Formats: sequence, C-alpha cells, structure tokens
Amino acid sequence: MSRDILLKAIAGVGFTAIAVALSLRHRLGSAREIAIAAARAFVQLAAVGALIALVFELPGLAFAFVGAMVATAAVTSGSRLRGLPGARVRALVSIALPALAATLALLALGAFAFTPRAAVPTAGILIGGAMAATTLTGRRLLESLQDEIPEIETRLALGDAARTALAPAVRRAVHTGLIPVIDQTRSVGLVTLPGTFVGLILGGATPAQAAATQLVVLLALVAVELSAGLLLAELTQRAVILPGERVQRIAVQR
Amino acid sequence: MSEGIDARGIDVTLGGRKVLDGFDLQVPPGRVTGLLGPSGTGKSTLLRALVRFIDIDAGTITLDGTDIEALDARELRCRVGLVAQTPVMLPGTVADNLRYGVPDLTAEDLARALADADLAPSFADRVAGDLSGGERARVALARALTRGPQLLLLDEPTAALDHDTAEHIGATLRRLRDSGLGVCVTTHDLAFADAWVDRRVDLERGR
Repeated sequence: MSRDILLKAIAGVGFTAIAVALSLRHRLGSAREIAIAAARAFVQLAAVGALIALVFELPGLAFAFVGAMVATAAVTSGSRLRGLPGARVRALVSIALPALAATLALLALGAFAFTPRAAVPTAGILIGGAMAATTLTGRRLLESLQDEIPEIETRLALGDAARTALAPAVRRAVHTGLIPVIDQTRSVGLVTLPGTFVGLILGGATPAQAAATQLVVLLALVAVELSAGLLLAELTQRAVILPGERVQRIAVQR
Repeated sequence: MSEGIDARGIDVTLGGRKVLDGFDLQVPPGRVTGLLGPSGTGKSTLLRALVRFIDIDAGTITLDGTDIEALDARELRCRVGLVAQTPVMLPGTVADNLRYGVPDLTAEDLARALADADLAPSFADRVAGDLSGGERARVALARALTRGPQLLLLDEPTAALDHDTAEHIGATLRRLRDSGLGVCVTTHDLAFADAWVDRRVDLERGR
C-alpha cells in the first residue's frame, strides 16, 4: 500500500472517530450506525477500486454492477422505511425507474459517451440521489402517518377522500425529500464543488467542459429526486389507503 | 324517514385486544344520547366505527335502515358528523375551517353554524390556530354542522374544559337536539351527563 493511500485511510478513520465520539458525547444513539456505515464504505470502496477497471472493460459486468447498485440502494432505503409494508420493493421501484430512465436519457442524448466508463458513474450518482430522496420523503411521510393521524382523520371526517386528506402530508414529505438537492443546486460553485466537476478537472477536462457536465448531472438529479419522492409517496399511499376512504396508522421505527 | 344509527352486536378488536364485545347502541334523531364509561372502555372506538374509521369484527351498523358498509364513506361522514376529543384546527381562519370541503357555503350558513355553536360572528376572522381549547371545541362543532349532518357524534367534548364552557357546550347540544338533530356524546363526566343527556348508555368493559 502506498504511503498516500495509507495516509488517506488514517484520515478517514480519524474523521469517523470524531463523528462517533460526537454521537456518544451527545447521546444521539447513532455511534454504532456511523461506525458500521464507515466500515462498509471502507470495504465497498476497496472492492470497487479492485473491480472498477474490469467493470469498465466488460459491458455485461457494467450492467450487473448497476443492478447491484440499485439493489443495494433499495435495501438501504427500505431498511429506513420499516413500518411500510413491502418497503424494499417500493423503494426499489422509486429509485430504479427515475434513476435508470434519466441515465438512459443522458446517454441517448449524447451528454455522456455510451461506454461503461461514463454510464456506470452517471448511474451511480443518479441512483444515490434517488435513494436519498426516497428515504427522506418516505421517512417524513411515515412520521406524518404516525403523528398527524388526528389531522388526517379530521379531514376525513369533514368528507375528504383519503387521497385529499393525505395531500398536505404528501406535499410536505416530497418537499422535505427535495431539500438537499435543491440546496446543492443553489449553492453549487459557491459552497460546494461537486464530485463530477472535481473529477473531470482532475482528469484533464477544461473548466467549461466540467461545468457543463456538472450542470446537466445536477439538473438531472433534481428531476430524478423529485420523481423518486413522488413515486415513493404514491406507492406509500397505495399501501396505507384502505377501502372506505380510510388511512392505516403506521408505527414508525425512529 | 330518519331512524338514526342502530348498531347491534358490535365486536371490535384492536391490537389483539377485544375493545368492544357484542355492544348495542342506538342514536335516534332529536335526542342527546350519552355514551358513558371510564377511559379505555371503547367509547372513542365505537364512535370511530360508526363513521367507518375502523372495521368491526362482528355485528351490524345501519343508518336510517341502510348498512353503513353499503354507503359511500364520504356521504356517511357528511350525514354523521364526528367531532374528535382534541379538535384539530386546519390552517387559516375560523371561516376557512368552516368552509373546508364546503367552498360554496353562504355567509348566512356560516353565520348560522357559528350561532349554533354559540360563537359570535366576529369569530369568523380569527386565526383558528390561536383559539383556546374551549373555542376550538365550539369551532369544531360549528365546522361539523356546516355539512348539514343528521347526526352528530362528539367524543368527550367537555374534557379539559372548565365548568362554564362545558355548560355552554351542553346547552348548545340541547338546542341542536331541539332542532331535530340526533346527538351522541361520549363522556365520563357524570354531572354533565345528568344535566344534558336524554338517554344514557353505559359502556362498561365494552358491553
């Protein structure tokens, strides 16, 4: 292992230790989760580092790799949505449809070369964004279905259809799911230099090329994350709306 | 002809616990029916079943002779108004709350609903979220009345209210009864029941 890689690994462990210590100090109950996530990231990135060259050379392996990304995202998001029946399948649909459709659209439009080297990272960015939006939207909506039942039942008692009664909670949830990507889009270049931009610059692209590529990825992310949030909200409503214009209570695991 | 609600042999199980076991209840028009019993005996559950917020395991519930399962749920909830124990005020003013779901409510209808709930006309412009508990209870009552229900179900309407406000609510229910409305009110306040209820149904341990 080169000295450079070792130093970076040590820095990563140091930052993880800080996060774990802060979580323990403030009794957030997330120290174990942070440690496990960090360990997973270490193992996964090491594995990807070893695999990626092969993935870029073999299209079949690239498809399998994207499939694994989608499946992992669905399991990760689904595990955050406990209480929702069929959470993983609903998360899978919400993540896969917009992320893969947007990837195909970007490739078809020629925004990226139709090669595994371009398609796999692009799909990864969009799948990751869809996963974040799915989790945030779903968590917010499930919390509403637990905490805001009195308001929802007030609307039902006043003659609303179940979908109408749920509409304010759905709007709040989808909005919550979009906050990170909207903030990221608003602050790009001012607060953050996103990964695509930095990667392209480091790889030798001109700043103009890097900026254009980052812009299309970022705006695709907005559309993908909004679509993912709306899909998850729709699939959640289908799960909780019962015959007779009723809404099922959900017990959320916080 | 209006017969009101007739519930017979109602069983309800919630979370594996039998909350109601073969319970009967009639809510006729023009009477104030008091559903009495300590907390946890299934009073709120029964009201929720009457507007199909929860399923019953056994028994039948009819409204004017028609099984409520055969009625459109939204129509049922317009004909049978439910006022929850802790009324939720929707965003906006009192008028916005009263017009919710009834956008074509006339100014006269709005004023009548406020008066029926013993509220001054000036309440219409108050921000609903700023109201006190007693005011919220009366706005929730007025809001239920704007749908023109034939029956009104109120879940512990006087809980957490002072004696004078509770007396106002009781007098309001009596006026509504006199206009022909059927009222069913759950309460564990025996003094309130003695003063304002026409017929009492005891709901001890769900029977």
